[in-house]
Amino acid sequence: MKIQLLKNYLFLLLLIPFFSFSVHKYYLSLCEIEYVKEKESIQIIIGFFIDDIELTLNKDHNTSLKIATAQEFEFIDNYFETYLNKHLKVTVNNNLATYNYIGKEQDSDIVRFYLEITDIKVLNTLEIKNTCLIRDFEDQQNIIKINANQKHKTFYLNKKTHKGLLKY
Amino acid sequence: MKQIFQLLLPLVIVSTSVFAQEGQQKNEQQAHYNISKFKQLNEELPTPNTQHTASGAPGYEYTQQQVDYKIDIVLDTENHRINGKQTITYHNNSKDSLEYLWVQLDQNVRAANSKGSDRNSSRSRISYSLSSFTKNFMDKPFNGGFKIKALKDTNGNNLKHTINNTMMRIDLPNPLASGKTFIFDIKWWYNINNYKEDKGRSGFEIFEDGTTAYAIAQFYPRLAVYNNVEGWQNMQFWGSSEFALEFGNFEVSITTPKNYILNGTGVIQNPKDVLSKAQYKRYLQAQTNYKKPMFIVTSEEAKTASKEKSNKTKTWKLYAENVRDFAFATSPKYMWDALAVKLNDKTVMAYSLYPEEGKKLWQEHSTKVVANTLQVYSKHTFDYPYPQATSVNVEMGMEYPMICFNFGRGDKNGNFTQRTKKGMIGVVTHEVGHNYFPMIVNSDERQWTWMDEGINSFVQILALYKYDSIMFPMSKYPKNIVGYMKGDQSRLAPIMTQGENTFNFGANAYAKPAAGLFILRQTIMGPKLFDHAFKIYASRWKFKHPTPADFFRTMEDASAMDLDWFWRGWFYTTGNNDIGIKEVKKYHITNKPTKETIKIYERSNISKDNIPPSLFLISEDSEEFTEDLNNKVEDYNLLADYINQNFSSEEKATMKAPKYFYELKFEKPGDLVMPIIVEFEFEDGTKERKQFPAQIWRKNDNEVTKVFPTRKSIKKITIDPDQETADVNLSNNSWPKTSENKFERFKRNQVKS
Repeated sequence: MKIQLLKNYLFLLLLIPFFSFSVHKYYLSLCEIEYVKEKESIQIIIGFFIDDIELTLNKDHNTSLKIATAQEFEFIDNYFETYLNKHLKVTVNNNLATYNYIGKEQDSDIVRFYLEITDIKVLNTLEIKNTCLIRDFEDQQNIIKINANQKHKTFYLNKKTHKGLLKY
Repeated sequence: MKQIFQLLLPLVIVSTSVFAQEGQQKNEQQAHYNISKFKQLNEELPTPNTQHTASGAPGYEYTQQQVDYKIDIVLDTENHRINGKQTITYHNNSKDSLEYLWVQLDQNVRAANSKGSDRNSSRSRISYSLSSFTKNFMDKPFNGGFKIKALKDTNGNNLKHTINNTMMRIDLPNPLASGKTFIFDIKWWYNINNYKEDKGRSGFEIFEDGTTAYAIAQFYPRLAVYNNVEGWQNMQFWGSSEFALEFGNFEVSITTPKNYILNGTGVIQNPKDVLSKAQYKRYLQAQTNYKKPMFIVTSEEAKTASKEKSNKTKTWKLYAENVRDFAFATSPKYMWDALAVKLNDKTVMAYSLYPEEGKKLWQEHSTKVVANTLQVYSKHTFDYPYPQATSVNVEMGMEYPMICFNFGRGDKNGNFTQRTKKGMIGVVTHEVGHNYFPMIVNSDERQWTWMDEGINSFVQILALYKYDSIMFPMSKYPKNIVGYMKGDQSRLAPIMTQGENTFNFGANAYAKPAAGLFILRQTIMGPKLFDHAFKIYASRWKFKHPTPADFFRTMEDASAMDLDWFWRGWFYTTGNNDIGIKEVKKYHITNKPTKETIKIYERSNISKDNIPPSLFLISEDSEEFTEDLNNKVEDYNLLADYINQNFSSEEKATMKAPKYFYELKFEKPGDLVMPIIVEFEFEDGTKERKQFPAQIWRKNDNEVTKVFPTRKSIKKITIDPDQETADVNLSNNSWPKTSENKFERFKRNQVKS
């Protein structure tokens, strides 16, 4: 049997595609959220497989974006930002928050987005709604790992469960 | 005086404790068993015996069964059905007499009444695709599983048998005595599954042009292992945990349509009959073609064959010696390339078979990757003992002796992404590597997935690095396992868990053992000791059935390193590694006794002036510390005089006094014990690294303190600077503490650029 090894620690959560039964690609994304009280900041890092997000965006815009290649579209970040705003919603203390798009990094077959919500003095509740890639991949699983107020919590979101809510 | 004091001391302690106990609860101080992380593994490992010895080698009474097969197969491409008849010769080499034989019927996992999915919980979904809805709830179930037509002894008498799911017991007319042979015949057929729709480790696929390819495995009734450890292998095939099989010789004939190309386990005995004249000529040429892969069957020939329709058949005859299994792949679409590989004094063949869909990527890499894998694995274990290794383009990853099925195809125009290329090179290396673990070093996959997957994934790292060190850098190990190891404990299982019962199969049985062996090799044992012991393990258990204990014991036995603590932590628990710096204290050196020193001497009635000549440490944060202490220690007359009196001028020339003492307190919030690797960066920018063995934690599992005399002031201290111990929390790894996390580092760099 076989497992496809990827470059970073993300692969363990993100991907176990090819073991045992034929080509069994796993559709996963990993979103790590940390609340840093001293900085009043909620820091979000969300990673996708490049070819998964590319397929979805190409479908949305009926185009060919060629992500992470020399022919990558110049304003590609706009596509990403719009997509994330639509599909990753973070509600902080019962208010829908807006986040700053800090940037993206490519790591092997994965693209990671860095998003930040600022001016959060206290964190009482945190709700994550993640519908990324769910339309196009039946088995999409979106993993949310939250580290806030000295507590770790993991949500496994999918087609059936879009949301996770944490109360402190 | 001292000795008398030591004699008296226990008496004093004993008497006080007697008093203390009188008025107190008994259990204030809890007694406990040996809970040391360095405790010997004896209770976990089976008792050594004359078959599996304490050194980890096979013992003088080690025995192993042998099973030889003669199989005739007809592939019915019309109905996707396979018909077989086979003669099995079972050699009872054990000291026991056997009343029955167990035969594995793996295809029964696909039988309509299979219990394979009954043991899993299921949940309703909110939506079903139309194809999955009709398939799962409206269609007739796939009529899979073996249909046994006849089971007879050599005289034609029916043999009594009972089928229990994927296993069949054959009751022998008379017990089979030690050293005796039993010969019997089975006739069977089954419907082949479409592996693209129904999944599986084998099956057929239909290409867009309507032609078919068959990748056939677990296709014949196979004898289960009977050994000194488990008796009969008696765990059902549920789908995840793979196989345990005996070695033997295979004589197999396979009848296919005339336009098909085929390769399988072993060597084709009649190439002249089954290949065209031109192909046969190239087949012979290839046997000494060492430079770059050449085609035996070309792309044009495959195109022509794919268009052919004919009712004629041909029969491929293969023979394989000392293998534990047999598999084959066949299609009119296959082209076939070949490269001869030199391994010391022998030549083996590297082959690849692939359809047009895989051509662009495969002609570039597949056979070259096969060759590289054989070379690297041979170096780390033993020279590849079989005559050939074949990689077949099938959209999966699965291994059999001498042949494996690997994915990697381009889009409609044959173009492929980097991800596909990387995955393809990875999968070919991995599956070809399985020839060693478990095809030859034949561990029980049904019981211990990690013994073949984990060990193989480890050697795979070395082989991939050799093939393309930029695409497959070693620097990502063992960091890659951190995400898994710091995960939710309720979703982790120790590596030493039967494969069906783990949570995250890939990380548990592949990546974690591989990362563990990587740490052992690179950091704990060093490549020299590790490689030797690993080679010994492989050669000791070549063509035999090793157990986990044989591996653990051999690695220690051949290296003189007690690794029980490592096996215990990494393989038997779900613990992770987290070592940090808790406190750093800087001391200067003075020739004047400090208040504290004076106080201690006074307790023994020694006055300040009578303190014997010494040097004293003074903490930088103490009240007595003054800046003018930054003297050269050599300037203290006390020390200078002592040195002059006791050392020759030659000795003196190389002697240097330290200027500071740093006392470091290391903390260990993690459960695992690991070496401490600490890097000092001095004020002048130079660096120095020290490594302390894991045993530093043997008396205190939470924190240890260590003193470092230095001549220069330290600017920065980092634990595990190269991240070679899978430390799951780097936030406590440096002094002074850096509060910047991954996100903030990214943000800072982003702003900069």
